[in-house]
Amino acid sequence: MPVLLWFNEDGLNPDHQIVQDYPDAPRVYVFDVPYLQQWQITQHRVQFIYESLLEIPDIQIYKGETVPILRQLVEQWQVQEVVTTATPNHLIKSWQQALQRFTKLTAYPEVYPVADTTSPRRFSRYWNKHDRVWLKP
Amino acid sequence: MQQLRTDLESRESIAAYLQAEFPSLENPGGLSPHVGGRSEGLVRLQQFPIQKYAKQRNFIDGAVSQLSPYLSRGCLELEEVRQWALQQSRSSSVEKFVAELAWRAFFHLVYEEEGDRIFQELEKPRVSLRNHARTLPDDIASGETGIPSMDTFIQRMKQTGYLHNHARMYLASYITHFRRIHWRTGADWMYGQLIDGDFASNHLSWQWVASSFSNKPYIFNRENLERYAGAVLPGDPRRNDPFNYSYEELAEQLFGGEYTPEPSRVSGNYR
Repeated sequence: MPVLLWFNEDGLNPDHQIVQDYPDAPRVYVFDVPYLQQWQITQHRVQFIYESLLEIPDIQIYKGETVPILRQLVEQWQVQEVVTTATPNHLIKSWQQALQRFTKLTAYPEVYPVADTTSPRRFSRYWNKHDRVWLKP
Repeated sequence: MQQLRTDLESRESIAAYLQAEFPSLENPGGLSPHVGGRSEGLVRLQQFPIQKYAKQRNFIDGAVSQLSPYLSRGCLELEEVRQWALQQSRSSSVEKFVAELAWRAFFHLVYEEEGDRIFQELEKPRVSLRNHARTLPDDIASGETGIPSMDTFIQRMKQTGYLHNHARMYLASYITHFRRIHWRTGADWMYGQLIDGDFASNHLSWQWVASSFSNKPYIFNRENLERYAGAVLPGDPRRNDPFNYSYEELAEQLFGGEYTPEPSRVSGNYR
């Protein structure tokens, strides 16, 4: 199967462009148990994520370690490309990078009204530069 | 690898199932009122009285959007919320709200650029944090500090997985500056407690409070707390109130002359 859609905890939108672009692809989420334990994630967040996942039709939810699970699915289903959403979360990014050793991975970037992604160290400078674009529909 | 079932419907049955599947998670003892899912997020968006935002946003019981769980978890896209806001009658509230969305993007851009460096001081702090403790005291973790206002915020956060941003700032300031716990310790703890936990917004905001990502430490006093949170707080005892001083007195107590607040600080605006 060509594409696998992999959802992460920063991109739980059933109407996301990745779903629109690959409507027939299987949809997968992995609750990463070491991450949940290390960061002592509240059960409230786990439930919120779970409830959000239930709105994604045909979602398959796994628990364990993210990279081995996805690698197994990629091999099992002969996936050619994993499609997911980008996030600055460095832990999720490291999983994305690890996966790229085994398969092609495409991460749709976060969408902002402003193309300039340089980050001045003060919000006031960012806003002074870009407020008009942010305030324009 | 284990696959989870997806056929549960009631929130109670989901909670019981997740407790069994993830036994290492602390049992919060009840359901959060914040229900996951894009459809819930869209309802909350439509119900948000945005024109009240400018006037009420600083108040703990003010009409803030409470969209952060849906934004952080990506149930709603930042851009679609921005477009919705700009369809409302243009006002200072609309502009202020869009600016808050821009803050979220700003924090993400910094995190994208710095990566895991946001877990250490990005700038030299304006006050000394060198001797701050690296473990969170039990009384803070359980919301039993003995200060009813702080305990109320901590309990709310534990019970619902959510807290008004101003309350987060009060807590971060109390923990960092009044209790001298290192901001990283507090930030890590708060991140796990929040449904909308986002490393960028959370850890950079704690650094903002600590003064390692801002020009000054964030502190508050009794007058500020009463003005913005008084409506929802039980009374704090008048004796031994650690907050009942002017900003100048507090700065002297907390920072021993390392930092002197400018007069404009007394406005109490936290951002």
